[in-house]
Amino acid sequence: MTRQEIEREIKNIFQREFEIENPGMDDDLRETYEFDSIDAIELLLEIEKLLGSELTQEEKKQAMDIRTINQICDYIERIIQIRKSSAEK
Amino acid sequence: MPLMKSIQRVLAFCITLILWAYFLFGYLVLLPVLYIPVYIIAKNSAAALQNINHVHLKCFFALTRFLIRRTKFEIPKEVREIHSSVVVCNHISYLDPILLISLFPRQVTIVKSTFFKVPIFGWFLRNAGYIPSAPNEMMGAAMINNLESIKEHLAAGGVLFVFPEGTRSRDGNLSPFNKGVFSIARYCNAPIKLIFIQDTNKLFKPGFFIFNALDSNTIKLELIGTLEPDYKSNNFSISAVAEQARKLFEKKL
Repeated sequence: MTRQEIEREIKNIFQREFEIENPGMDDDLRETYEFDSIDAIELLLEIEKLLGSELTQEEKKQAMDIRTINQICDYIERIIQIRKSSAEK
Repeated sequence: MPLMKSIQRVLAFCITLILWAYFLFGYLVLLPVLYIPVYIIAKNSAAALQNINHVHLKCFFALTRFLIRRTKFEIPKEVREIHSSVVVCNHISYLDPILLISLFPRQVTIVKSTFFKVPIFGWFLRNAGYIPSAPNEMMGAAMINNLESIKEHLAAGGVLFVFPEGTRSRDGNLSPFNKGVFSIARYCNAPIKLIFIQDTNKLFKPGFFIFNALDSNTIKLELIGTLEPDYKSNNFSISAVAEQARKLFEKKL
């Protein structure tokens, strides 16, 4: 999955699940859209769906401090990379 | 007649005093005294505290039934036997949460975060595994820890009961639903049981201190639906589940 595809999927999730249209890539989600911790949980579950695999507790905890769409995309890229390298081993 | 009414009011006041005295005595004396030995023996101290609280409130409602003969309770077996589920209820009286605790031996709920700051009570809430409602106290890793402990609690047969309206309804109508509870159910992959609570607000009216011991009343709890969404489905939507739950409650009003 390319960075662009991830961005597009995340924006779709924001529109579908949180009714947030075209959020800025560096907008602080908590301050700008009142995105709270329950929303973050919902996002995590959507990310699991996107990845097609469950996140570990540690990965979930790391995600809870994310504040922008760019950070979400970085996070997903990192997870995909980790999954890829462990599959290669 | 006015004399009769005055006597009835004095009686209601006395009953209220007895009930609140027992309620407070339980939390200030009985619970701590029972909890210390249980804390030492029990493997799961939160479960033990939930159970002691359940027994205390069961006794509270037994005393209520004994003192207020005009109030009856209709709680079917299918409600009493609920386990391993997220229970969603309408909220009409302060009695609702304590009535639910009296029904389920293993129970947690989401409590206003200000209550966690009250001495003794706050300690009790934390140690019983209850969850603060304020997003500030549910941020970061703490949120995941809380959700993981709810998941374990449900897997062990417990219930999480929540009032998605957030606060008591003053007019009996439904307030907007907070979708958070449905997200928690999804996280825990748990079924959602919808319980409609009726007439607890006639026994203990919002804004009043005194129990209504004079009027005939039947408090009913009814299981109005069970939702078992396919959380993994691509078509799954939290909003749709919340809407479905709300519609079932609206039908009862």
